[in-house]
Amino acid sequence: MAEFKWRKWNNILHRDIGYVVVALTLIYGISGLAVNHIADWNPNYKIEKEIITISPITTTDREQIVAEAISKLNLTGEPKNTFRPDPETLQLFYDKKTYSVDLPTGNVLLESTRPRRVLFEMNQLHVNAPKKAWTIIADLFAVALIMMAITGMFMLKGPTGITGRGKWFVGIGVLIPLLYWVYYMNFQ
Amino acid sequence: MNYKHVLSIAVTIVLVSSMVIAGPKNYGKKLTLKEKTKVSDILANPEQYNGKKILVEGAVVDVCANRGCWIKVASDKEFESIRFKVDDGVIVFPMDAKGKTALAEGVISVKKYTVEELIEQGKHHAEEQGEEFDPSTVTGPKTVVQIMGEGAVIK
Repeated sequence: MAEFKWRKWNNILHRDIGYVVVALTLIYGISGLAVNHIADWNPNYKIEKEIITISPITTTDREQIVAEAISKLNLTGEPKNTFRPDPETLQLFYDKKTYSVDLPTGNVLLESTRPRRVLFEMNQLHVNAPKKAWTIIADLFAVALIMMAITGMFMLKGPTGITGRGKWFVGIGVLIPLLYWVYYMNFQ
Repeated sequence: MNYKHVLSIAVTIVLVSSMVIAGPKNYGKKLTLKEKTKVSDILANPEQYNGKKILVEGAVVDVCANRGCWIKVASDKEFESIRFKVDDGVIVFPMDAKGKTALAEGVISVKKYTVEELIEQGKHHAEEQGEEFDPSTVTGPKTVVQIMGEGAVIK
């Protein structure tokens, strides 16, 4: 009976799973960097704000206020919706644009929003916004990463393998989250 | 199948997906209620609705810019809106929901907040939206009425 060459199969698994998960690893890695810094920037959208000035709107009739604002802003077409958060403000919602008109002064805040190309899609997949089938794909990816980690440890034998210097590197990798957690719980 | 085939399939998928006609989109759990409740009725008598599941309809007038974890739904009355809040990641509302009409279902939550709690919330909200926040504008205590969101259809 031929000897089962477990290391050969371990390496084949590591190699081929590695190929399959290249794209997903890049998506989760790049998106992870982007989402980690959510406090400093918006990783999903580019939001631009600018102030436009029109003459004040003094009428009190709602329909007239809307018509006057559209006319003064030279907007074409009807807004998707309108809203008045308070008596002095009118908001006009167009595709990817919101006009907030301060009626007494005529100051208008124009907010334009557009998704960051590619990064938006990556982030949506990372946070599992689609749910449904993507949950299964994300679970399989997680299992694949676990397999990559385990098979990765046993790829090499000898002084560079897990029984040699590899164990020290694995040890360092275990200590990083462990020590940080101790520090976080006691000193932060 | 060589890499050129794979690349052309990928490009085709991207092009086709970008041409999909945007219709009503479902978020979270399926809606279960048929009868709508007016936002103005909820805001006029919040205690009466506290803990009750309701369905509201209105324009989406604001969206959480960073995480998509809440939307503001306009009331049927002027100068009123209600926040539809979901736990982070449970539903992710896109910014392009702004201006569209939402059918939103969830449980009404009525909470009283102290001035300190309101300042903390204000800071967090301003940070989320990338806006300035002046704590002196906070007067309190305040009762906050919101919908703990379960599901929505945005059209």
